[in-house]
Amino acid sequence: MEKTGIRKTQVSGVAAGAAVHLTALRKHYGDVHAVDGVDLTIAPGEIVALLGPNGAGKSTTVDMILGLTKPDHGEVTIFGSSPDKAVSQGAIGAMLQGGALLEDATVFEMVAMVASLHRKPMPIKDALRRAGIEDLAGRRSSKLSGGQKQRVRFAVALVSDPDLLLLDEPTAAMDVGTRREFWKSMYEYTASGRTVLFATHYLEEAEEFADRVVLMRAGRIVADGSVAEVRALAGGRTIHAVVPGVTEPVIAGLPAVTAYELRDGRVAVSSSDSDTTLRALLTRYPDVHDIEIAAVGLEGAFLSLTSDEIVTPRESEPSR
Amino acid sequence: MSLTYVRLEITRTFRNTRFVLFAIAFPVLLFLLQAGLFAKSGAPEHDAVAAALMVNMMAFGTISGAMSVGGRLAVERAAGWQRQLRLTPLTGPGYLGGKAISGMLVALPALILVPLVGTLFQGVHLGPGAWLHIVLGTWLGAIPFVLLGLLLGQFGTVDSMQPVNMLVTMVMGFLGGLWIPIDGMPAWMHTVAEALPSYWLIQVARGAVTQDRTASLATAAGVLAIFAAVFGAAMIRRYRKDSARV
Repeated sequence: MEKTGIRKTQVSGVAAGAAVHLTALRKHYGDVHAVDGVDLTIAPGEIVALLGPNGAGKSTTVDMILGLTKPDHGEVTIFGSSPDKAVSQGAIGAMLQGGALLEDATVFEMVAMVASLHRKPMPIKDALRRAGIEDLAGRRSSKLSGGQKQRVRFAVALVSDPDLLLLDEPTAAMDVGTRREFWKSMYEYTASGRTVLFATHYLEEAEEFADRVVLMRAGRIVADGSVAEVRALAGGRTIHAVVPGVTEPVIAGLPAVTAYELRDGRVAVSSSDSDTTLRALLTRYPDVHDIEIAAVGLEGAFLSLTSDEIVTPRESEPSR
Repeated sequence: MSLTYVRLEITRTFRNTRFVLFAIAFPVLLFLLQAGLFAKSGAPEHDAVAAALMVNMMAFGTISGAMSVGGRLAVERAAGWQRQLRLTPLTGPGYLGGKAISGMLVALPALILVPLVGTLFQGVHLGPGAWLHIVLGTWLGAIPFVLLGLLLGQFGTVDSMQPVNMLVTMVMGFLGGLWIPIDGMPAWMHTVAEALPSYWLIQVARGAVTQDRTASLATAAGVLAIFAAVFGAAMIRRYRKDSARV
């Protein structure tokens, strides 16, 4: 991706004004390279989706941005200062993954308590309204559904009126309807120019709500671009067919193949241009049968992007 | 730290039925029961015995209240609420300090109710100076127990906190002379009791009601201060380690 290279050279100049600026960020847990050299600059007002499978390093990256985890190497700056400083100024709000609420407190009590710790919070009623939980104010959190709890945590995250919101898998416990409503309220909030970084499993959410998508795999950024760019990368179809006598090198050598699977003469080929792939396949093996062609589901496309070497990282590090 | 934080801590404590029973109702009832058993009405030593029992039960209620902070700390650690609070300007000392203050405040009901019952129903009569000595002494003596609660809360899980707190309270209660008055203790038990902070908490107040088996106020306060320093240092050390780990 040429474009990201350009973005990177601009970084040093805008670092001070960036909402989030990560340089050569690394974190190891024993032998596990949770985050293995991440450079990322997010401009104020951007809405960025951080995508990746489990274990890609999303949460560790989020934790380092928040200052909850200390990087082994590299630097984090938030609006030009350290995470700790940004936190103490109330510039960052976050929904952490798996964070629970106080079972013995009401929604209002929790939001009000967090508000009281900040210097310039928004009115508690505003936070509740924005999160769509005004009607739950007096309820104990032990009596809330999973989706409702997430919204309370959203209210807790935004009551400090932060400039940067970090959401780690915010819709994990929500059904489709609740998820839509959640993003709607999120959207209203960000319309006022706030910066948002959210980690998610759902490519649909990234497509719908993010200006920019950052894909992580094995602790590195493997793709970074506008939603349209990443969608183009993720496009393509899958061909299923029974191909007697076929071998792996032949499949891999077919044109436009991005990924494949071969089992007992049955192949599943992901292709960025299924017509070309299929023509080539039929030319080599005229007796191919049981052909099925399906558009790659978003889920599958995302997997192919994050589990393959085919999408090359924007630049190989670390010799800097 | 904020007033709202401390207030919510206290509200949450009083919502806990176990706390209300164990740290408020239980000491009052046990006092009435023990006074009925051991302080024979009409006997010349009745008032002195009742007053000594009252001091014991005030200490017991205070310990239960003070140590209740541990349970909430363990819950907040497990639930990730502590991490959420680290994303606010609340500092580590502010977080622990708020818990400690709330622990001191929720220790007060027993400290007030037990003497009230003692005065109204058991004929305990003391001068203002003695009252001040007992109430203030026991209250300040709760400090090491708040710190112990905060220490245990950082080691315990949500599930283990209840039995751990129970065990600690039992040991403090039985062996420290709260439930079995030291007046009737055999010599070996008395030796064991002297190793426990609960024994010294009684000793802080006991001087106001009797001189029998009573250490000097300075000694008792000194021993409790040492316990407070040890528990406090361990607690802060553990907190630093715990928050650096994540």
